[in-house]
Amino acid sequence: MITILGREIPNRLDELTIEQFENITELSNNKEIDPIDRHLQIFASLGIPEKEFFDYDVADFIDLVKEFNSSPKIEYPTIETLEVDGYNYTAKMKLTVRDTKLIEKIAINKPKGYVSEIAAIMFKRDDLTPAEHYADAHIKHKANLFKKLKANIAIPYLMFIATKINHQVDAGSDTPTDSPAEAVE
Amino acid sequence: MLDQTPLQIALPKQWSDVTVEQFIEIAKIDKSLGAWYYNSEVLYILTGEDIDDMDIDECTKIVSKFKWALSQPSTKYKHELLGMQIKPLAKLCLFEYIDLDYYFTENYVFNIDKICAILFRKSKLNEWDEVILEPYEYDINTRAELFLDLPITDVYGLINEFLKFRDNFLKVYANLFGEQDEELSDEEKAKLTPEEKAEEEDEKKNSKWSWERMIYGLTNNDITKSEAVGALPLTYVFNMLGMKKELDI
Repeated sequence: MITILGREIPNRLDELTIEQFENITELSNNKEIDPIDRHLQIFASLGIPEKEFFDYDVADFIDLVKEFNSSPKIEYPTIETLEVDGYNYTAKMKLTVRDTKLIEKIAINKPKGYVSEIAAIMFKRDDLTPAEHYADAHIKHKANLFKKLKANIAIPYLMFIATKINHQVDAGSDTPTDSPAEAVE
Repeated sequence: MLDQTPLQIALPKQWSDVTVEQFIEIAKIDKSLGAWYYNSEVLYILTGEDIDDMDIDECTKIVSKFKWALSQPSTKYKHELLGMQIKPLAKLCLFEYIDLDYYFTENYVFNIDKICAILFRKSKLNEWDEVILEPYEYDINTRAELFLDLPITDVYGLINEFLKFRDNFLKVYANLFGEQDEELSDEEKAKLTPEEKAEEEDEKKNSKWSWERMIYGLTNNDITKSEAVGALPLTYVFNMLGMKKELDI
């Protein structure tokens, strides 16, 4: 946590909720807003209204931003089991084709809540069948529940997925060309 | 030849192991849904195995075995199949060309079985020992089914062959086909005057019914003669149209 204008503001993955992390990521990726405005919006999303910075010195504000962005690099341990609302969830560092297809669909559509949706795919409720787990409504419901959890729960899985996908690209398992529908020479 | 993977999934090793039907199904997969959606669908089509619960590392190994599918099938094709022989493109009749043009324009991969059905014909020798091809009077859909189980490599080259033929044909008779205007954008349409809008609508209608209009004209507005006109050789019909246009008769 860092203190800004007398308020404790989360800036580490084990302090930010997944929802806060998603908001910050979305704002950080928005190149249409300038860095100052971007960080004003980030701080607003964490509970400090923009108007409170109106009389703030720009140089001081930049220092605040630097402090906010300089959270220490921590190796967060992988959390494999969770209990949310009385149900147990288990995740493994393992991806099936079905998991990957769903994650890929999320990556293509890039919904705002993509981290919670990916966490919802990775964490499977212990008492449900695979068919129930993969039901679209269930994934959405679980993603809403997981938004309130800390981001460090989801990040190791995001890293794992990114590594796997890179590995597949290296292995040349990308989509065959569109050639069947193209003119031939 | 099918390849047995360590996971005991029999995989095709080359395009010649893939049937026309499988090739069409693969081409119909929605690629916008992602590479893994595509891969799993392709594997399902080629093997009949549902791989959704397979670990992606294992699946990656399998997928890497069909890198040959990244390239196109051979552009060669067989001239005789199922006891039928291919009709030379230069001898196509008008209706045959119109139907081929329709299937190519719609999607020549999805329709490759129907394209084969038009081009491959039964034949016999006449009393002069000349080869006579069956007339274009059979049901295309029933005939098309015969080609679905053949290797795609037997027929894939026909696509290129017809595209080249059509390209050349359109060049030779360019004065009869006229210029194809590009579709206007919504913004461009909004700027049109009422007269221009009406003109654009007329052009659209003419384009939609261009073949029918041509046949209607060739039969002197007597649609009972359509079949006879449709059975005329394509080049003969267009030479006549060319003559009519040049002499303005």
